[in-house]
Amino acid sequence: MPALPDDYSPLMTELQSRAAKQRQPVNGTFELTKRCNLACRMCYVRHDASDKAQRSWELSAHDWLALAREAMDKGMVFLLLTGGEVFLRPDFFEIYEPLSRMGLVLTLFTNGTLITEPIAARLAQAPPSRTEITLYGATTATYEAVTGVLGSFARCCAGIEALIKYRVPLGLKTTITRQNVGELETMRQMAHDWGLPFSASWLLSRRNDGAPSGVIECRLPALECISLEATDQASAIELSEVALRDPAIHNDENFYCLAGKAAFVINPAGEMNVCLDLSSPAAKVLELGFADAWAKAQAFVDNAPQPTPTCLACKARAYCPRCPAWSLLETGTLTDPVPYLCEIAAARRERYAQGSFSKDVIDE
Amino acid sequence: MRRKDDFVMRDVGGENLLVPLGKQVMDMNAIITLNATSGYIWTLLEQDRSIDELTAAVVERFEVDPACARVDIEKFIDEISNLGLLL
Repeated sequence: MPALPDDYSPLMTELQSRAAKQRQPVNGTFELTKRCNLACRMCYVRHDASDKAQRSWELSAHDWLALAREAMDKGMVFLLLTGGEVFLRPDFFEIYEPLSRMGLVLTLFTNGTLITEPIAARLAQAPPSRTEITLYGATTATYEAVTGVLGSFARCCAGIEALIKYRVPLGLKTTITRQNVGELETMRQMAHDWGLPFSASWLLSRRNDGAPSGVIECRLPALECISLEATDQASAIELSEVALRDPAIHNDENFYCLAGKAAFVINPAGEMNVCLDLSSPAAKVLELGFADAWAKAQAFVDNAPQPTPTCLACKARAYCPRCPAWSLLETGTLTDPVPYLCEIAAARRERYAQGSFSKDVIDE
Repeated sequence: MRRKDDFVMRDVGGENLLVPLGKQVMDMNAIITLNATSGYIWTLLEQDRSIDELTAAVVERFEVDPACARVDIEKFIDEISNLGLLL
């Protein structure tokens, strides 16, 4: 009998593409809370862990499970649980354990700092298919310079080791900023030493509620992003998703991802949007019912304006990660070019045209 | 033979996907898709069935040669047994 593959990406891409053609809401994200016990300056979402107003808006476990059942009925198969920090919710397992029995492929995003051995042991009874912990540095000094919380590095490492001990499927990733970029290779080695897969991202977006954050100070300059891509072959999320897009088959849709076609997000207050970075259409799922909310999400995407003539005519478009979410966060419109990303796209095109970063490197 | 109860068949874009539940995720953290015939056999295996019973059911449901059906069913049963999907 043939061995099972290690990498399901091509299969998943094909399955989700078919789902998108049928407008099956196969990929759900439940944002259980926007509150977090860390204080990362570049974060797109966080509110303080003790924020009472935020907490008052959060759906109950009962409501999340009702939403999940409705969503499954309409075709949800893959569900991501994310925050903020999900383990801030004292009722996390009241939500998680019933979900784990429904027939969903579950993924969990967490900073790992609240994962104790009892939590890891309990999670191991019915683990997510994938748990991803974000590592913000390879040393106490750097990690805590990013997170702003003393002791968080040690707790994160303890959380990682607890999940490893109980064999919970785990991956590590990092969000690269100016503060921790020097430790990217060390973080990669840490993941390797733990026997864990590792990925990195460094295109930091603004807060989705329009509030100020430290993202501009934390972002890498465009040319530094390109240099990192050249050294981080297979694990650069941005690169694998956009950089090798074939210009000849690039379409003119503004929303070129699964958002509103096969993917949706429900925020802590129970409002459906098409992605984590967008706050529209904010369809209230418990009031409207899942089907109507999903219809509104699809309409939001279908009625979105096309990219601008400037973007459509741009020679670097195939290398550009701009999307409606990026445009809205940076410019206030769903379509305007994003200067930071224009710089990155132009630099990528120049690099490829010079042949100093060939497709062969990616294919290794 | 009968299938284990801790796998659920779900539809993704018209394809059948087997989703492991509970601790099965650790032992079977893989993606298994079933075509129409194997998906039908999977539903039949909710109850205890013999190869003869499965073959008869498949032949009745699909336009297939009984001998070929039996060979394919035996191969499928062998595969899912090796993957630990059967009791």
